[in-house]
Amino acid sequence: MSASPQVSLQVSGLGKCYGVYARPQQRLRRLLTGAAAPQQHWSLKDVSFDLHKGQCLGVIGDNGAGKSTLLKLLAGSLQPSKGQVLRTGRLTAILELGAGFHPEFTGRDNLHFAGGFMGFSAFDMQQLTPSILDFAELGEAIDRPLKTYSSGMVVRLAFALVTAVQPEVLIIDEALAVGDQHFQKKCVERIDSFRRNGCTILFCSHSLYHVRQLCDQVLWLDKGLVRGLGRTEEIITAYETHVRLQDVSAPPEGAVTQVYAQTDKPAAEATPKEPVLVVKEGQRAVQATIVQASMEGLIVPAYGDRPTLQTTDVRLSLRVVTPDRQPPSLGFMLEQFKGVGIMSLATHAEGVAPTAVAHQPGRSEWLMHLSLPDFPLHSGTYVWSFYLFDAQGLVVCDEWKDHIVFDWISPSLTPGLVRLPHVWG
Amino acid sequence: MGAGSSASLLSSLVKREMQSRYAGSALGAFWAYVQPLLTVAVYFLVFDVVFAMRMGEHAPTERVGTYLVVGALPWLAFADGVSRGASSLVDSAGILQKNALPPVLFVIRSVLASWLAFMPIMVLLAVLYGFITGHWRAIAALPILLLLQLVLCYLCGHVLAILTAATRDTTQVLGFALGVGIFLSPVLFPLSLFPVDWQWALYLNPMSAWVLAYQSVMLSGLWPGLYLWGIMGLWLALLAGVLVWLNRNSREELVDWL
Repeated sequence: MSASPQVSLQVSGLGKCYGVYARPQQRLRRLLTGAAAPQQHWSLKDVSFDLHKGQCLGVIGDNGAGKSTLLKLLAGSLQPSKGQVLRTGRLTAILELGAGFHPEFTGRDNLHFAGGFMGFSAFDMQQLTPSILDFAELGEAIDRPLKTYSSGMVVRLAFALVTAVQPEVLIIDEALAVGDQHFQKKCVERIDSFRRNGCTILFCSHSLYHVRQLCDQVLWLDKGLVRGLGRTEEIITAYETHVRLQDVSAPPEGAVTQVYAQTDKPAAEATPKEPVLVVKEGQRAVQATIVQASMEGLIVPAYGDRPTLQTTDVRLSLRVVTPDRQPPSLGFMLEQFKGVGIMSLATHAEGVAPTAVAHQPGRSEWLMHLSLPDFPLHSGTYVWSFYLFDAQGLVVCDEWKDHIVFDWISPSLTPGLVRLPHVWG
Repeated sequence: MGAGSSASLLSSLVKREMQSRYAGSALGAFWAYVQPLLTVAVYFLVFDVVFAMRMGEHAPTERVGTYLVVGALPWLAFADGVSRGASSLVDSAGILQKNALPPVLFVIRSVLASWLAFMPIMVLLAVLYGFITGHWRAIAALPILLLLQLVLCYLCGHVLAILTAATRDTTQVLGFALGVGIFLSPVLFPLSLFPVDWQWALYLNPMSAWVLAYQSVMLSGLWPGLYLWGIMGLWLALLAGVLVWLNRNSREELVDWL
């Protein structure tokens, strides 16, 4: 089956129904008599879309919305109950890396074997192996049994294999969070280069940040149905509203009151996170992490739970460490506490870079200040989150979510949320 | 997936299955051949050399060990192939759920890997018996019988694999059936020892016809009788029909059941 040349993936009326069997006897009855399942559960219903060459579609939705089912149907590992999928060219799915590897065999054996599943012949594999080994960076370990590998090494090998050949359609399920930061970056770069070369990508992730960065279209699934399909910003905004409404109706207990303060550690963690030392190519290098995030002018009250902002000129500083000398991108996000997002800024998007405070071999420290003169918000409770990205803003190396929560009493007494720049008359 | 790439994938699956069964052992896949070979050797040693037991009047041979081996080896091959076939789909659940591959490949893989381990020993045995008895003309039927047995193992294995996917009780029932099945066959006792009125019951065991055919070829030096080919054909047709029916009812949900 193939779709028309411009369309790489054509999905029409796709649905998947699981038979629900309370007892194995019911399954046996279905098998022997052909009778329908006693109960049916549609985990995906009536999904249709076309993807053109080079498009990147993000798939978002709550847990159990049918995202994985959709991806498996497209990848062909599940049979649809309804509808059909037409596609052109090779399709590669990064669903679960390393499935089908055998622990007793060497990395090389596993590579050749798993290559067979992907439709590569022995000759193809011979041609591809050098580039796969080069990408996976396993060195001599490739000829050792897989059981001696760390989980990160297995994933590296698997990722290198599945992306060895650029497919026409690439399906990715949350696979960006593999391996250490160095490898994550390589993965993201490889996927990004596929995209630039015209590969059609279907990307399923809970990371709305990544969906925003990579995708030009978004499909929002809700309880197996298409809730939205369209331009990224439009759909994600609608989804975020939906998530916020859910949070309001079911507030997390206990978590709230501790989330405040101007400390040097993420509020969610009990102990400060030390930069973790990893050994890479014989040289000690740190993981890229945030080490300090602070806001000036906060007064912690004698009693009560939240500090209050005492100045109209807000000044924030963010201190991070990275393993290399390339300036990272830093992100600042301001939100209404348990409410809407107000603004987010990232240095790479604004063409600025943090200042280097110190350079040592394998460790660079960076500092960035952000000032918001004449804080334009109305009274309320607000929260800052901080992010550390790689230089291109693709890999999230560290995040301190909801790190500083503070009250702000605005001099303005009129209702509203924000005082936008304005001109009278 | 085209026929060519399916065949190349199948051959790599079979090779890997034979290696992985004995992965981590010093002798590796060699064990696959050692096990049945030792069984055969023990039968000869115990019944023909140590005890020198003799069969009754109407048996096709008088040596007990010689008689047992001809039936027991194909039976072992059948039991091994069928039970591996039956668990093949459930065992490959991880791969099937993550790759777009036809499940039938994995049934064939398991059955074929088992058959390939037994076949050389059957051939060795046939050559040995050929030299001793000189029944070369009849032994020419052996390749056909072995191939038909492979088809039988595949059909049984696939039917049972689907049943196992639907309900895991199949594994228990199969274990019992294979344990008892050997008594409902002419493997241990010649046909002449069974009461005439009850001999039909032997054919409820699909392997009985094959065992009789092997005995006819290797012990009596006769081509299997037409009725034996007929019974074999009936069993294969029946199992193929059942398989088509089960496949039809389970195709859409099979991978979900694993």
